[in-house]
Amino acid sequence: MSAPPRTAALPRERVDLRCGFGPLTLPHPILAASGCFAYGQQFADFMDLRRLAGLSTKGISPKPRFGNPLPRICETASGMINSIGLENVGAEAFLRDKLPYLSAAGLSVWVNFFGEDFDGYVECARLLDAGRGHGIDVLEMNISCPNIKKGGIEFGTVPEVAHRLTKACVAATSLPIVVKLTPNVSDVVAMAQAVAEAGAAGVSLINTITAMAIDVRTRRPRIATTYGGLSGPAIKPVALRMVHQVHRALPQLPICGMGGILSGEDALEFIMAGASCVQVGTANFARPDASLRVLDELHALMAELGIATVAEVVGCVQPIEPETPWNPAAASAPDAEAGKR
Amino acid sequence: MPTQFEAQLVANRTLGGGYVVLEFSAPAGRLDGVVPGQFVMLRGAWGRELLNPRAFSVLWSEPDGRFAVMLKAYGRGTTRMVAMQPGDSMTVTGPLGRGFPPPGQGSVQLLVAGGVGLPPLHLQARVAVQAGHGRALELFYGGRNRDDLVLLDDFERWGIAVQCATEDGSVGARGFVTVPLRERLLQARRDGARVEVLSCGPTPMLRAVRALALELDVTAWLCLEEEMACGFGVCLGCAVPVHGERPYRYCCTDGPVFEARQVRW
Repeated sequence: MSAPPRTAALPRERVDLRCGFGPLTLPHPILAASGCFAYGQQFADFMDLRRLAGLSTKGISPKPRFGNPLPRICETASGMINSIGLENVGAEAFLRDKLPYLSAAGLSVWVNFFGEDFDGYVECARLLDAGRGHGIDVLEMNISCPNIKKGGIEFGTVPEVAHRLTKACVAATSLPIVVKLTPNVSDVVAMAQAVAEAGAAGVSLINTITAMAIDVRTRRPRIATTYGGLSGPAIKPVALRMVHQVHRALPQLPICGMGGILSGEDALEFIMAGASCVQVGTANFARPDASLRVLDELHALMAELGIATVAEVVGCVQPIEPETPWNPAAASAPDAEAGKR
Repeated sequence: MPTQFEAQLVANRTLGGGYVVLEFSAPAGRLDGVVPGQFVMLRGAWGRELLNPRAFSVLWSEPDGRFAVMLKAYGRGTTRMVAMQPGDSMTVTGPLGRGFPPPGQGSVQLLVAGGVGLPPLHLQARVAVQAGHGRALELFYGGRNRDDLVLLDDFERWGIAVQCATEDGSVGARGFVTVPLRERLLQARRDGARVEVLSCGPTPMLRAVRALALELDVTAWLCLEEEMACGFGVCLGCAVPVHGERPYRYCCTDGPVFEARQVRW
């Protein structure tokens, strides 16, 4: 195996955390993920919101939604399953009641949105366009929620449908559209390609993985809708693989990586796999200041590893070097060969 | 206002029946003025296996920062917690939620407790006694057997009337706690006395208390428990079905105390 790159550690102040994501410049790569940060206010008791680079809001639909029956969540090994049901205040109330607070906090506001059908998505993008210039930076189009029948998962699994929908939403707003993709597909690259060609400014990878847990005593599922979405560290390896696949196939497409990030090292793995920025999700439930801990750890880790800028490590992961070919006829390596090693 | 802070275990006190009281030290003032029924989210150094903090009603808190919770080993989190040693630390978020109405408002408060549901009612009694309203409370305490009835000596010391019920009849009335409670509510009706019920315990018990309160037209406050990930209104996991303009409210921010009539059971 090749030796790791040796770079001298840097003092923390020499590490520049700023990063670019398509048209955006962010002060650092750590955002909070949709559904795990509500509309931000609740966190102000526990942390300085302005230290975050940004947040993705709870998914917004054209009209308010009440959400699913309970139980809605259950903890599983290294993660949790949820089926909240995209409960939200609706686009109008969001713009009126929630956006001003976020805008005043100076965060990069990504509004996660969805519709119950094709036209609902387009309508939502159009409604949210009114937030341009009032704090909204990005519309994160959710075509990947597993938890409502019309929650968009069909839009997220067929490339042609995703292409058509993305194109229509891009036309409905002048805000950049970042498409949040589902991992519940066999070819995530085809999905990313389809939305990129339709004008998406980037992709968010990944949403939750469809999952189930059973209570053997009651012989019932632990989630009222039977299946829900798995999140947390349990899904991180899957998320990393998908970020890496998409980045390798589409190196110009900005990727926001997410899936089980709990530490600065997790965040750096996503960046090295190809993400330009990352979102912290389930960890916010474990402790409300989780995203800032990730940020501080990332900063310290970059200093330790001598990484001066985020850009220099986006997608930097290299394949492991091939081994010396096997020669069944040779009892041992020739001396000359051995000497080289 | 809720904050997040670190707490160190000072004592792990076994009560019998599998119940333990964990006493923590923490920065002063963090849980000052906690209302009985309010809760904290606790998470230990559980690594990546157990992600979510666990919700516990505050059993007591002192201005110097010390506080206690009571629990029993039930799942993966509580099993780790009952094995904690003095010096172990936990991350705390709280105080969270809305608690019980205060005592001494003209009604006698009938506290109806079952199992690990005792702490908020124990705190309600402590606060009432400190405020000189000890006579305005009575405790109804149910369990499967003698071991399920803990901390009774505190109520005795506070001079609060207690009626127990056990399923095996080892202490008090045989059967569920709703047996003596029904008698008491009927007596209050005969006397024309104003009473209200404050209850916390296993959901089947709370359902029975609710049914009884509705039947006899008595106001009842139920301290509910739902699976929670965050505890402060973000994950929306702890939905409680309710009547009214919205089909659900949230155990963590709208509750955990709900008026029985409001709950859609």
